[in-house]
Amino acid sequence: MTFEIENVSKSYISKNGKEKIVALENINLTIETGKFVCFVGPSGCGKTTLLRLMEGFEFPDEGTVKDDGELVTKPSRERGFIFQDYSLFPWLNVLDNVIFGLNIAGKPVEESKEKAYKYLDAVGLRDFATKYPHELSGGMKQRVAIIRSIINESKTLLMDEPFSALDVQTKHKLEEQLVSNWRRNDRTIIFVTHDVEEAAFLSDEIVVFSRRPGRIKKVYKNDLPRPRDRSTYEFQDFVNEVTDQIDESEDD
Amino acid sequence: MTEIKLYDKLDVLILPVILIIIWYIICDLLMLIPSYMFPGPIEVVNSFINLLVSGKLLKDIIDTLYKVFLGLFLAAVVGISLGIILGWSRRLERLCSLIISVLRPIPPIAWIPFSILWFGIGTAPAVFIIFLGCVFPILVSTIDGVHRTRGVLIEAAQSFGVSNLQMLTEVILPATVPYIVSGLKVGIGIALMCTIAGEMIGSSSGIGYRILTSTSLFDTGSTVVGMLVIGVIGIIFDYIFTKIQEQIFW
Repeated sequence: MTFEIENVSKSYISKNGKEKIVALENINLTIETGKFVCFVGPSGCGKTTLLRLMEGFEFPDEGTVKDDGELVTKPSRERGFIFQDYSLFPWLNVLDNVIFGLNIAGKPVEESKEKAYKYLDAVGLRDFATKYPHELSGGMKQRVAIIRSIINESKTLLMDEPFSALDVQTKHKLEEQLVSNWRRNDRTIIFVTHDVEEAAFLSDEIVVFSRRPGRIKKVYKNDLPRPRDRSTYEFQDFVNEVTDQIDESEDD
Repeated sequence: MTEIKLYDKLDVLILPVILIIIWYIICDLLMLIPSYMFPGPIEVVNSFINLLVSGKLLKDIIDTLYKVFLGLFLAAVVGISLGIILGWSRRLERLCSLIISVLRPIPPIAWIPFSILWFGIGTAPAVFIIFLGCVFPILVSTIDGVHRTRGVLIEAAQSFGVSNLQMLTEVILPATVPYIVSGLKVGIGIALMCTIAGEMIGSSSGIGYRILTSTSLFDTGSTVVGMLVIGVIGIIFDYIFTKIQEQIFW
């Protein structure tokens, strides 16, 4: 068991300071170790908020979020976080970005670099090791950001729409790389997306959120055999089934 | 192609050259202004050669630059470190904000009486004035830079388990560098002004001292040389900092 989320509610005060926006209401969810779980739902349904609570960037108004039985009170290196926005340190080159977490953990630099090159090799970015983030394309930046997190071998990876700004081909390629990396490690991944097809391709479980106030509408088991093929009828049927569920919740 | 480029670069010189010719005609040819009121270009060139050959000019420049750099260095150390801390801690910033906003608009020159009272005559009072002149722009732009550090970078660092100190040194400080550099650029301009003012009153050396003493000896040529040297130093600093800013790509 990795995450236990019990009776979690969270609201914000709107920008003009008048309205109270309920982002999450009474969320109960358990996520088991080693699972690949996707959060899907319309924008503004609180799926990103829940992910941020799980990391410890923010805290619930009510209820508790526990990671391995321990209350989440602050961000931890045991929970890697990958952002929708580009989050590479612009003053560090690709290599130094990748080993940032290892440096913070006090690992010997030479070893870290060797390890970083292995990861960069795997995604075809070895030649870009000395380039700076502003010299990379969007897809490259996001690949480096993902390597920067997974190189730390944290037991959990929290990903907030990491591929949403990429073109379809790059996106599919990165999805495949992510799945194959995940299958080789005993790591839990929680992946937020608004793209049902992406969720169907990646996940073991899909958690569907409803629009404000954000509630969990339904949890789907995704038993499609891996490696998955987006063109099969089973795949498309599953995508349609989940999509219908989201459309319905948008009528509320 | 190259001719056009050369012309583009030289066209900034057209107006200055015309002005020098007019100046030459008024002062040296027609002698409309007596030289103890304002020197002609020939006298300025003569003074320049005299000061250069006697080594006085170089000594003055070194003397003034020494004060500028010392004052700027002290202001940078205090301004950057305090700026990082105040920018990071809203509570400390609120605690200090009133003091900073009252002290900041006081012209550094207004501190000259106290600087002489406390430090006497020499290098120290000028350095003190320069420090006061530079520290606020550096402090304020550092604080601003910390505030503008993208939240996603701070959160990314948190997810790698950085300590508070690592956050300041590994993330906030580098993210703030562009703002620090522009604070230093503003600071050095102010430093030059402060140095000359400080030297005129609380000092017995440097370009400011030269400007003031040569006028009282009716050597207005040397006064103009001193003024122009300050201008040239200002251009050089500005150029250097602009080049540094171009190197910073984040």
